[in-house]
Amino acid sequence: MVNKNLVKDVVKEPYKYGFVTDIETEKIAKGLSEDIIRLISQKKEEPKFLLDFRLKAFKKWQKMKEPDWAGLGYKKIDYQDIIYYSAPKQKEKISSLDEVDPKLLETFDKLGIPLTEQKKLTNVAVDAVFDSVSIATTFREELAEYGVIFCSISEAVKNHADLIEKYLGTVVPASDNYFAALNSAVFSDGSFVYIPKGVTCPMDLSSYFRINSGDSGQFERTLIIAEESSSVSYLEGCTAPMFDTNTLHAAVVELIALDDASIKYSTVQNWYAGDEEGIGGIFNFVTKRGKCLGKRSKISWSQVETGSAITWKYPSCLLLGEESVGEFYSVALTNNLQQADTGTKMIHIGPKTKSTIVSKGISAGNSKNSYRGLVKMGTKATGSRNYSQCDSMLIGDQASANTFPYIKSQQPNSEIEHEASTCRISEDQLFYLQSRGIEFEEAVSMMVSGFCRDVFNQLPMEFAAEADKLLALKLEGSVG
Amino acid sequence: MKIIEKIKTNKSADNLTEIQKICLDKLQSSPLPNTRSEQWRLSNKSKFSNFLKYSVNEKNPKFDTPFPNNSQSTIRLVIGDNCQINLMEENYSIKQLSEEKLVKYIKEQISCFDQNENWSDLLNLSLNCTKNTLGLKINGSKIPPIEIFSHASSNSLNAKTLIIFLEKNCDIDLLQVNLGKENSSLSQSTFFYLEENSSVNHGVVSYGENKSNLLNSLNVIQQNNSEYNLGSLHFKFNYARFEIRVKQSEGNAKTNIKGMQITKKDEQISTFTKIDFNGPNGFLDQINKSLADDKSHAIFEGSIIVPKIAQKTDASQLSRNLLLSNHAQIDTKPQLEIIADDVKCKHGATISQLNEEELFYMRTRGITLTEASKLQLSSYFQEIISFIPISKDRWNLLDKLLNEN
Amino acid sequence: MQSKMKESDPILEVENLFASTDNLPILKGVSLTIYPGEIHAIMGRNGCGKSTLSKIIAGHPSYNITNGDIKFLGENINSLEPEERAQLGIFLGFQYPIEIPGVSNLEFLRVSTNARRKFLNKEELDTFDFEELVKEKLEIVKMDHAFLSRSVNQGFSGGEKKRNEILQMALLEPKIAILDETDSGLDIDALRIVASGIKKISNAQTGIILITHYQRLLDEIKPNYVHVMSDGQIIKTGESDLALELEEKGYEWTDNFIKKA
Repeated sequence: MVNKNLVKDVVKEPYKYGFVTDIETEKIAKGLSEDIIRLISQKKEEPKFLLDFRLKAFKKWQKMKEPDWAGLGYKKIDYQDIIYYSAPKQKEKISSLDEVDPKLLETFDKLGIPLTEQKKLTNVAVDAVFDSVSIATTFREELAEYGVIFCSISEAVKNHADLIEKYLGTVVPASDNYFAALNSAVFSDGSFVYIPKGVTCPMDLSSYFRINSGDSGQFERTLIIAEESSSVSYLEGCTAPMFDTNTLHAAVVELIALDDASIKYSTVQNWYAGDEEGIGGIFNFVTKRGKCLGKRSKISWSQVETGSAITWKYPSCLLLGEESVGEFYSVALTNNLQQADTGTKMIHIGPKTKSTIVSKGISAGNSKNSYRGLVKMGTKATGSRNYSQCDSMLIGDQASANTFPYIKSQQPNSEIEHEASTCRISEDQLFYLQSRGIEFEEAVSMMVSGFCRDVFNQLPMEFAAEADKLLALKLEGSVG
Repeated sequence: MKIIEKIKTNKSADNLTEIQKICLDKLQSSPLPNTRSEQWRLSNKSKFSNFLKYSVNEKNPKFDTPFPNNSQSTIRLVIGDNCQINLMEENYSIKQLSEEKLVKYIKEQISCFDQNENWSDLLNLSLNCTKNTLGLKINGSKIPPIEIFSHASSNSLNAKTLIIFLEKNCDIDLLQVNLGKENSSLSQSTFFYLEENSSVNHGVVSYGENKSNLLNSLNVIQQNNSEYNLGSLHFKFNYARFEIRVKQSEGNAKTNIKGMQITKKDEQISTFTKIDFNGPNGFLDQINKSLADDKSHAIFEGSIIVPKIAQKTDASQLSRNLLLSNHAQIDTKPQLEIIADDVKCKHGATISQLNEEELFYMRTRGITLTEASKLQLSSYFQEIISFIPISKDRWNLLDKLLNEN
Repeated sequence: MQSKMKESDPILEVENLFASTDNLPILKGVSLTIYPGEIHAIMGRNGCGKSTLSKIIAGHPSYNITNGDIKFLGENINSLEPEERAQLGIFLGFQYPIEIPGVSNLEFLRVSTNARRKFLNKEELDTFDFEELVKEKLEIVKMDHAFLSRSVNQGFSGGEKKRNEILQMALLEPKIAILDETDSGLDIDALRIVASGIKKISNAQTGIILITHYQRLLDEIKPNYVHVMSDGQIIKTGESDLALELEEKGYEWTDNFIKKA
């Protein structure tokens, strides 16, 4: 009934963030060694503890093996062929936005993230990261009034070294996995957020990551600390130009929530995914983890993953505090030859902890989309509960959808419930919509966004609309 | 390496059958399963090496069983006791497979083996001599129910192999019973081939004693329009693995599986299932239940594989688990791998205790906590037990489950 | 009003009861005394604690008594298990009867009836004798025999579930029955059947607590006393006309009593 070709054509919208900014950059030589790490640390004028942290991580990384268990097929990465530090050349110290290279401001303008005073978004503070460095953070003074610290992690290292030393690497230890170790050794920049006790952050905070150069990897590091009874909503967006080589993005995100604190972390990931033949695109190997350290603390991850050639990402929650809550809401859409292996780990350690997982995978083209998750009830997690729901939607008969939940319990007085299902857009549903005069593509995108509704409802408003549009664009021409 | 030497010292190389030689050869390259692989990762290593510690025994002890044969019409066979059957009745026939056919079939099977996944089969076939292999070819209609027993002997490692060919349009009830003995290891491999339009209600009851071990592997191939119904129950084993591999070779077949494992003390019982849809219109309805008490460990891993060719597959898998003690552990991993788009697949998993609200309700009616728990357990068990053919009216399995420790 | 001299001893005494769940206080000092032959109605908004009170009297494990006593025939039952209370003759009719898949209704009824009979030193019934007894009791709630062969409450309509509750009450012959919103979800015919069932089962020796939102059940079964609960306390007690007044004036009217209290 439905025209096969039409379906296949749906995802052909060109990647509109694929431009390259022509800007003079300062790059260091390719390759990875102890000297390179010392050089990065020196360039960033880091204290000794951080250099030690990096070197220790590097030693660990050298002893580790690149994981292959996720079943992702990709060309081996040559870690000596990557530039580990690339920064747009700027004046030594920038005291205000006016001194930022206009080309950079223009770049973010084009990406829909205006940074200048006149144009900046009114209710969101933005930290813009270009290749290896953070170039601007808006609304800093306003936030400072509340005691909220929002700056690049490099600045935080200089100005809030005590917090960095206390928390960095406590949620994702350097030895956690291969890419976390690599990140710990070479991370360049990223965002730092500190919400003091009792403060509800007055606006959403947001980081925007842009990979510009083709041969440098991006290794950003984000650390968010929410003190007792504080709360924050943080958004993250990502794009990259189109190159026919693969760029490695290996980020680490650490969240810490103390008693009664809540952190909501939302991502819309739209890195360049490579072309229809699977040439180019970002390798997105990310470690994200939050620690609910305090009583009744809450960490909520929501993500819309549409980009990258390969995504390998499991935002997780360690639920230590009594009655703490972990949430994971995810939409992952893959098309062409994209591969996404994503999911979450909910580790229930403390009593009466609760977690919810809602994952929606949409696979089109020849792509491969897997949910991989772990729910574990430890021996002390009495009275804890988990509910997981993982749904897959398949578009076309070449795409694959896998579900690999892993459930483990050592606590009888706890409950785990997992459900998963697979569906496709039914012809009857499409026909019904079409018979009411709705265009075919419009109907498809309505169905897809309906399928993702539970997750979109969790996104901050600005993001939800964007995510909806993004999916529609990605799917154009893929259904038939 | 030890296991290979064990087999070799037990027999001179000349006495080995062709199959044994092939399998031993394969075992040379992976003398033990890869304990880092998904299939073996959670397997208790000391319990597994315990399985291998007994010496190989080809002789069979006197057969005795807690499961009496109290029906005239049931055919009872015990693998190993010079088991011979050649029945030619008006409506049906049950014949011994010729040695030649048997070898040919097993060789075909071996050629599709995955070294790690089929490690239990490789072990079984390299241990086994012809005497402990039973191959049957069944056809016709109105076939009486068949019971087939495999039994272990104390302080030894026994291997039994069963091959069943079900011919076209044939329909049977077959119950397989694996009996563990005190301090024993039993390796059981079963190969089931269902031709077109055939149907079987297959029961597997594995019942151990103190310190019994079991490696139970079941390989099923289903042709078009065949229906395979499996009801299984594993209990009272210090260590048991039940591996089920079902392949719907051209799709268009029906598979129903209801399995249960019960662990107490420090037992470990695991079930691995892999259902492969190799054609369109396949159907699967699977439920696996575990109950773990004391310090025991129950494991379930199920994968459903739906390749592109398997359009219109309808598969559902449910893993339901009861964790009854603070020191017990349950691991479950239902998996879906799907490439076809026009399919209906779902799976679910739960781990919990007995339902507290239900218990409270019964208690407000004066039923004691113990009795209320038993009522709940028996309904939990009954769903599986009632699916095991032949046994259900005879052996009071429910009573064994509820009242034996 | 309850201090009136009675000829016999009370069946149930709730004395200054405080209770909580998950450290959240639900009951904040409830006192209530029921004498043989009395029918008490407890009314109040959703969340006022009336259902909790009934569960605590029946011994629900999720609630902790933090202060006060529950006495049955003069004996403190605070620490008794739910089944022990049931065997003594305390019956709780559930607002939402629990579905228990796989457990046959008949078997469930027989085991519970025998548990109570054993306590009363009556002979336990075998399957045949029990069937006879059930048949007789089925009449009271006008239920079909077919209900017995199904799983406990599974797939029962709202009305069927409530009738199954009354059937259990008839079989267990309790000294006191607490009926938690037994009228909710019933159409008028089913309500009459349930009400007449309750009347048939109760007598001068039994006590009844009706927990309800509505007057309509109380039209069928006239209570001796009506208590209004709010925020874990009984804020007003009156005779049956209090229910009518409440129906007329709404719960806002009772808010005045809280301020006074």
